[in-house]
Amino acid sequence: MSQAFDKQFDARGMNCPMPLVNARKEIAKIERGQVLKVLATDKGSVADFQGWAKVAKNVQLVAQETETADGTCVYVHYVMRKA
Amino acid sequence: MAEREIWSAADLLARLEHRGKFFILDVRNREEFERVRLEGRTPLPAVNVPYFEMLELGGKDDMLDSVIAYMERELASQLPRDQPILAVCAKGDTSDYVAQGLSRLGYASATLKGGMKVWSEHYSARTVVEDADLAIYQISRPARGCLSYIVAGAGKAIVIDALRHLHPYLDLARNLDWVHSRGLEITAVIDTHGHADHISGGTALAAAAGAPYYLHPFDAIHPTDVLPATIAYNFISDGQAFPIGRHELKALHIPGHTLGLVALRLGDRYLFTGDSIFIRSVARPDLGGKAEAWAPLHARSLRRLLTLPGGITVLPGHFSTLDEADDSGRFAGTLDDLKKRNEGLQVLQREGEAGFIRYLLESLPRFNPDYLDIKRVNAGLLKPAEEDAATLELGKNVCALSQAYTATGGAS
Ligand SMILES: [Fe+2]
Repeated sequence: MSQAFDKQFDARGMNCPMPLVNARKEIAKIERGQVLKVLATDKGSVADFQGWAKVAKNVQLVAQETETADGTCVYVHYVMRKA
Repeated sequence: MAEREIWSAADLLARLEHRGKFFILDVRNREEFERVRLEGRTPLPAVNVPYFEMLELGGKDDMLDSVIAYMERELASQLPRDQPILAVCAKGDTSDYVAQGLSRLGYASATLKGGMKVWSEHYSARTVVEDADLAIYQISRPARGCLSYIVAGAGKAIVIDALRHLHPYLDLARNLDWVHSRGLEITAVIDTHGHADHISGGTALAAAAGAPYYLHPFDAIHPTDVLPATIAYNFISDGQAFPIGRHELKALHIPGHTLGLVALRLGDRYLFTGDSIFIRSVARPDLGGKAEAWAPLHARSLRRLLTLPGGITVLPGHFSTLDEADDSGRFAGTLDDLKKRNEGLQVLQREGEAGFIRYLLESLPRFNPDYLDIKRVNAGLLKPAEEDAATLELGKNVCALSQAYTATGGAS
């Protein structure tokens, strides 16, 4: 069963640093305790979201997974707004 | 506002070779920064701040605003004003924001175009010799410390140790304007051994050029899987000659680094040593997992090479540091010269085979398990997608003993 989320942001096709820059703006739009699901095709986003969650006080990385859609790998990040 | 420059991989290489002064602001994550770094003739001054820290701690919505706020507040004391600051990231987009930010703050700044990805796949060709009847080009992949060669005579070319990307060889062969020949026909592609540190372009280049591919059969067996290669290859044997115009390359079987390693000798002038003798170090004997059995073979093989004429120019399969290059950026030295400045050869001459074997076994670097997969790829036992191939090859080769010291000792 995959992870629950409240809002989805599609960053597929975006290059570094845009998936993270935009996810950061999106997370400001959801409520405390809610989860943002981010889809990205940039492989580097996996380590970047982990690193970001460590320094950002108001977010928590809940889960990460990969999906394959139309033969391309999609990296999925679930980020919860803490504060 | 100061000028922001965009440096290509070739620009960067020129600056590294000529000891250009610049400071690196690397914005990749800490693991990537530790794993693969830019290296020059001497250690380069660098600071690492992952871009996501700048973004978050800079505290603005906009990337550029955040970067500027962060650098102004946190980095001002570390960033020099007397030299350009090169921003570096994985693919070159993020570093451009950083370079723009630096320039807004009045620093001389530059961004590395295409980032570490493009740098890791950059190739550079240098002329070793261009006579009327013989030309040799050394084609290096500077980020990886890998060297390969095109040997040409009478409109024909033999490629030695072709690296993974084929364009450097095909382009040079197609466009070369040398003596009376416009363009070269590639007539043979030779791997001096089954490589463990990088993916060979040998079979693919041979197929693209319609030329035969050669490998010593001992290296067509994966050393730990003990499975035969599935690639198409022709045998090389000791003493075999490969004619090239008025000259010929003669194979010398010199097992040690691998069981099927060959050197290729062009008369008394050039010796392509593969992974046996490098400029300042010698090859490691442990990449087949059998260091104790192979080290004595290595010692005997190097003794054999030491009996060759002292004036012969050694052209190795790797370099350990850019500082091994001469003023023209070539990695080459006469055997006499190497006897004086190559650490491994000095041990061999001073302490004989037994002392040399001890030295080899005592200085073994860490074994990277990826090497077994790379050998599988080169034997055709494993077929990775492009992105996986690039990941397998990340970082610098550690075929030589010398850089292993810095790799494990953390001297850099
Ligand atoms: Fe090697």
